[in-house]
Amino acid sequence: MTSQYPAAVPVMPHLSPVEILLVEDNPGDAELTREALAESKVLIKLHEVRDGEAAMVFLRRGPGYADAPRPDLILLDLNLPRKDGRAVLKEIKEDPALRRIPVVVLTSSQAEQDIARAYDLNANCYVTKPVNLEQFLTIVRSIEQFWLTVVKLPRDAG
Amino acid sequence: MRESEDLFRTAMQSSPIGMALRGLDGRWLAVNQALADIVGYSEQELQALGVADISHPDDLAVDMAYAQELLAGTRGPYSREKRYVHRDGHTVWILLSVTLVRGEHGEARFFIAQMNDISARKHAEEELARRQEELARSNAELEQFAYVASHDLQEPLRMVASYTQLLARKYEGQLDERADRWIGYAVDGAYRMQALINDLLSLSRVGTHGREPELIDSSQALARALGSLTSAITESGARITSDPLPVVRADAGQLEQLFQNLVGNAIKFRRPDVPAEVRVSARRRSTEGRDEWIFSIADNGIGLDASYAEQVFTLFQRLHTREEYPGTGIGLAICRKIVERHGGRIWVESTPGVGATFNFTLPANE
Repeated sequence: MTSQYPAAVPVMPHLSPVEILLVEDNPGDAELTREALAESKVLIKLHEVRDGEAAMVFLRRGPGYADAPRPDLILLDLNLPRKDGRAVLKEIKEDPALRRIPVVVLTSSQAEQDIARAYDLNANCYVTKPVNLEQFLTIVRSIEQFWLTVVKLPRDAG
Repeated sequence: MRESEDLFRTAMQSSPIGMALRGLDGRWLAVNQALADIVGYSEQELQALGVADISHPDDLAVDMAYAQELLAGTRGPYSREKRYVHRDGHTVWILLSVTLVRGEHGEARFFIAQMNDISARKHAEEELARRQEELARSNAELEQFAYVASHDLQEPLRMVASYTQLLARKYEGQLDERADRWIGYAVDGAYRMQALINDLLSLSRVGTHGREPELIDSSQALARALGSLTSAITESGARITSDPLPVVRADAGQLEQLFQNLVGNAIKFRRPDVPAEVRVSARRRSTEGRDEWIFSIADNGIGLDASYAEQVFTLFQRLHTREEYPGTGIGLAICRKIVERHGGRIWVESTPGVGATFNFTLPANE
């Protein structure tokens, strides 16, 4: 599903909306992220998929996703049905056509082995979702600020 | 000649170690009582048997091979661990030592064998191996539990907390005071649950993430602990002093954790309007059978009644409500686990309203 958030005043010179792919199986978590991004000043188009396989089909513009845009940022949960988040991360970062896309692992787990493994698989960063709602909203906002306004993203031919 | 024969025969007969003279054909030329006892036969019965009859079948081939090599001269006298089969069927581990006796012209004459019953040691080794496997398995299970706790339990918690808070935000002003309060209880419950889970994880890590103790400077561990407490110290105006502290054998990270918990408590449980004064010291005590360092963390805080002195070290046991003093009640349980892991003891001496001194010991055997 896709939602669009019109900006009150566009702050950054994005002529087209920023495409974000959210890979999250828990509808409750997806909605929280949606809520948090809704307050963004940047024009964002949020795409959501609910499992790892759908994520790969989206990224490769497979059946059902032929017109899918190439995301500027991927928010990836680790524990997903069908294809697990770690497998998705690995595939993205091993694929020359996809590996430039920044992947923010956004997950409940605080386990050290999960953090280590994600960085081993070349996640761009790892963020733990906090229990406190305000903190969560702040974190999503900082992700969006950092990756979409502070950071330089690569231009892609595709 | 006769005398030396008699001497030898006597020596063999009365030896507590199993002994046998074995002919080149594999049959016994002589055996002693000790050997007969090892395999549960009488001397006569044993005499009628051969090596093959009392050996464990899996160990025979090597015996034969070694015997051949002894005869060929390619192997010298040897010792090896092998198994006999007792008359009643059970296995007996022995340490077998074999020599080949040659005649004047180098011809092989007979074998001398000595057998030590090592069953007891073997059983102990097997038991040890079994226990180590058991421990490794148990640790692996604990690690898995810890992973589940830090991962799978967090998500439902977040759903409860986040959506209750979202409700509060969305309907702000439209709900009455009671609703606000109820939402507060729900959210607070979720936060506390998370704190409890994290505390249990810390406790389990004392065992699973513990490192081998090594010689460290305990004053440095204290310094690092105080570094972590900087904001608590400055906010409360606490004064921490320390005597010179010794070099001890300990896990540096855990000693730091220990100091942090104890000094942190000393600061937290201060008397209202009285800045905390905490003194850390150590003295050595060598009594017979025991050589140890006794560390003391003395404060001028609210203290506690002697009747609670044991209870405070119990998991999640608190002496105050959460409104009075925050915390889950795990700090001292972790302290005790760390101290016990190092082979020490921990206890408290206190006068309510005056202060408390927490003491713990570390073995001094550097």
